[in-house]
Amino acid sequence: MAMTPRQFEARYDPLWDELERGLAALDAGGKPRRLKAGEFPTEVAPVPRPARVAQLYRQCCEHLALARERAYPVHLVARLEALTARAHQRIYRRHDFGLGALRDLVLHGAPEAVRALRWHLLVSALVFLLPALVVGVATWVDPQFALTVVDAHQIREFDKMYGPEAGEHLGRTSSDDWQMFGFYIAHNVGIAFQCFAAGITFGVGSLVMLAYNGLLLGAVSGLLVTRGDAERFFSFVVTHSAFELTAIVLAGAAGLKLGHAMLAPGRLTRTGALMQAARDTSPVVFAFFVMLLVAAALEAFWSSAGWIAPAVKYGVGGACWLLVMAYLGLQGRGAAAESAR
Amino acid sequence: MKLDTTLLAETPEGIDILLRPAGVVARALAYALDWGIRLAVFIAAMTAIASTQGASGGLGAGLSFILYFGLEWIYPIVFELLPGAATPGKRVLGLQVMMDTGLPITPSAAVTRNLLRAADFLPFLFAFGVLAMLLRHDFKRIGDIVAGTLVVHADHVRLAGALPEAPPLAPRVPLTRAQQVAILHLAGRARRLTPERVDELAALAEGVLPPPDAALAGAPPAASRPGPRLLSVAQWLAGQR
Repeated sequence: MAMTPRQFEARYDPLWDELERGLAALDAGGKPRRLKAGEFPTEVAPVPRPARVAQLYRQCCEHLALARERAYPVHLVARLEALTARAHQRIYRRHDFGLGALRDLVLHGAPEAVRALRWHLLVSALVFLLPALVVGVATWVDPQFALTVVDAHQIREFDKMYGPEAGEHLGRTSSDDWQMFGFYIAHNVGIAFQCFAAGITFGVGSLVMLAYNGLLLGAVSGLLVTRGDAERFFSFVVTHSAFELTAIVLAGAAGLKLGHAMLAPGRLTRTGALMQAARDTSPVVFAFFVMLLVAAALEAFWSSAGWIAPAVKYGVGGACWLLVMAYLGLQGRGAAAESAR
Repeated sequence: MKLDTTLLAETPEGIDILLRPAGVVARALAYALDWGIRLAVFIAAMTAIASTQGASGGLGAGLSFILYFGLEWIYPIVFELLPGAATPGKRVLGLQVMMDTGLPITPSAAVTRNLLRAADFLPFLFAFGVLAMLLRHDFKRIGDIVAGTLVVHADHVRLAGALPEAPPLAPRVPLTRAQQVAILHLAGRARRLTPERVDELAALAEGVLPPPDAALAGAPPAASRPGPRLLSVAQWLAGQR
């Protein structure tokens, strides 16, 4: 004769209680429960070991399947549902948050993910740099042209930062270094995150943001070069731009990848393609985030230091460009070949 | 038509885990709470910086920018990766973030869903996000869709308790599975209802309940009402003979 719900509950209730105790102990970080006043250690129910918890979890899954199949009373099924859901969350928790995953990401995950986006990177770089080049040259030929992109107020601000009256410190006094560091983080990283997220609008948002920032870049550089502040400006930007411009192109490329998945999902559903694209680009997001932090630190404390000779800055800046390109282009290729074999 | 908004996630053990996605109102309230907390932290930090630094400190202003950035972008990611998997606002409302497979949230999913809040915000005040949540039965905003995450009510509601005690009585006819389930469900919820309401609902099952005179000899006359007879049948189905 089949087991009745009452027999079922009476027989397996101790197991469920044991699992509950085990989960509570794991939630408490493996420390034994504090004894209540007037309680003896022998009166406390034993706590199962973690391996036993896994075994109990599988048994409870079986009980839940049986209870559902046999249409047992709701409170039984509900209790088993809650118990298995809790144990499932606990048992399938990731344990590799640590440095190992981070090391893999830095050593080959991030540069590989960047290289996998090479066509998106190309488009992103072109959409960013072509407007910059065109506006830069146009401004160089006719400085009035800059006014079509930026307004006069912004130009005055840039003048104050890089113009002849900017003195020993480029852009500001040294007490402002920290302020600018914070500002660069909040502002630049925020823009890059938005540039990435805007890609979900079939890529249009990313393209617009890239082009707009390219226009600004071109107008400012063109203007400062025509005014004869070229050395001041280029020695200021050469170092941190290695990280900052690259990071913006990376953010745009990651956003374009999302937009590409929306436009042409291939053999996946749109949602599926989008999820796949998000997984593929998450190391890139990590990469451009770190690069923007580095850029903010350099821009605040190194680029603005007026006492460093421009020649030194050009040298260090060039080395940074080489470093970034070599990291993104070469790092982890051996590991990739290894795993492909 | 399915009325409730529960989702089933299948596990490798071959069972389905019941998930209860949280709707727009609960999540908007959680967001508002988080916003308030972030604002309070920011104001408190600003006051502390202003009192130690004076008004002119570049360092203080720099810290304030970094703090603003952290509260805007890092705060939700960190809290969703901690045990409990929810920002303080979500914790207050009993919400939790997990993968839509019922698994705990992964770091890359936490980053993706929180960065894409920028996409949900478009074109103004989370219009896309709210629209996506209202259109979907699992209430995912765009960031959730892309990251494959789900915001659920963490606590399990218990609508049904143990079956109330009653002398067992056999049903008039053999019951189908669906009928057994219906009777056991109603009996499990009987404690939450008034006796009159139980009678009213049990009367719908009069065709299968034992006749009123089948109540045990010596039982009070109230035992012949449909409600108590249904509870007796439920006890019989649960195996008390």
